[in-house]
Amino acid sequence: MRATLAMMQSRLNATPYLLRLGRLFSETVLLEVDGAEYYLTFRDGRLDQIAEGPSRKTPWRFALRTDGDALAQFWQPVPKPGFHDIFGLVKIGRGRIDGDILCLVKNLRFFKDFMALARTRTEELA
Amino acid sequence: MSFEPITGRYLTVTVQGRRQRIYVEMAGEGTPVLCLHTAGADTRQWRHILNDTGLTKDHRFYAFDMPWHGKSLPPEGFQTEEYLLTTEAYIETVLAMSRALGLDRPILAGCSMGGRIALQLAALHGDAFSGFIAIEASDFQPAWYDIDWFHRPDAHGGEMGAALVSANISPHAPDSERWNTLWMFMQSGPGVFRGDLSFYTRDDSLIGRLPRIDTTRTPVHLLVGAYDLTCTPEDARRTAAAIPGATCTVMEELGHFPMSEHPAAFRPFFADALDRMKVPADV
Repeated sequence: MRATLAMMQSRLNATPYLLRLGRLFSETVLLEVDGAEYYLTFRDGRLDQIAEGPSRKTPWRFALRTDGDALAQFWQPVPKPGFHDIFGLVKIGRGRIDGDILCLVKNLRFFKDFMALARTRTEELA
Repeated sequence: MSFEPITGRYLTVTVQGRRQRIYVEMAGEGTPVLCLHTAGADTRQWRHILNDTGLTKDHRFYAFDMPWHGKSLPPEGFQTEEYLLTTEAYIETVLAMSRALGLDRPILAGCSMGGRIALQLAALHGDAFSGFIAIEASDFQPAWYDIDWFHRPDAHGGEMGAALVSANISPHAPDSERWNTLWMFMQSGPGVFRGDLSFYTRDDSLIGRLPRIDTTRTPVHLLVGAYDLTCTPEDARRTAAAIPGATCTVMEELGHFPMSEHPAAFRPFFADALDRMKVPADV
């Protein structure tokens, strides 16, 4: 998971349109996968820091909690229904979103596109 | 230069005592079909159907922008009003448009909130139409989100709305049409998506009316995309099951905006639905 997040970090920081969309986004997001905590600290749209938990003292703005298999399906080039969006994971009972959801919604395209950065691209399968 | 076959005109109708200047697009010749767009969007969602010569050779399609949407202006005095769509105003708007266009019992095809109102009209004004194609339509959907998120001074409601509804677009949809579809939400006027969602997520009056729909006189066919998180196949099947004689088809590779997000995949399902609108006496 750590390697995947590092790959997403480098892709984000090399994607100009995402940096533009996220230019006002400076928050810490908790991503919890199979109970393991990853605190993602964004600054001006860049992913500055990936800190592994557990931690009871790291403040976060919103959290996405899911499981590794659901994320693997989410990252398929053409995910099955429900696995195609973070709100889909919630809808099918494979994810939970907590915290300041309005903050997430205000930055929704940025965060969704960030989460999709680990999606296997069709051209990579060729 | 080669124009598309679609023509656009304006007309004014009176709804609930107020004048509404409405934009309507038309194409084709034959059986009239009145098309209704989803919440937070406009008639452009139907652009591929209205440009489909295989369908327009024997159907005349009409698609109009609801008041406050697309190129239809809000009514005079809107600047101090809170836009909240109601079932009654929506029904009156559709009936007024059908009358103003001089349509004789058109087929009514609506998507999402347009599908919801199509089923309301099937229950309450079935005689005014010859059949109903209810796309991504269900009896009732309570909101898991706060509709007030989409109209606030510190954020762009259209961009937030588009990011939210992108969850309902199938990954099979071509990127170009995914983004054309989302653009309409981004362009939606302030508070309009919220006002549509008020109708869509708070009015459950259709549930008790479904059994009174008479499909022997007016066929009802539901279409639902497997990737639709808002109106899931389960929601559409439940709704169809409550209407005696209604049919329902699940579209495996489509989402909540099938005619707009993935027109090529939607086309055969819509052509089949049009075929189903012929009641036995007409065949």
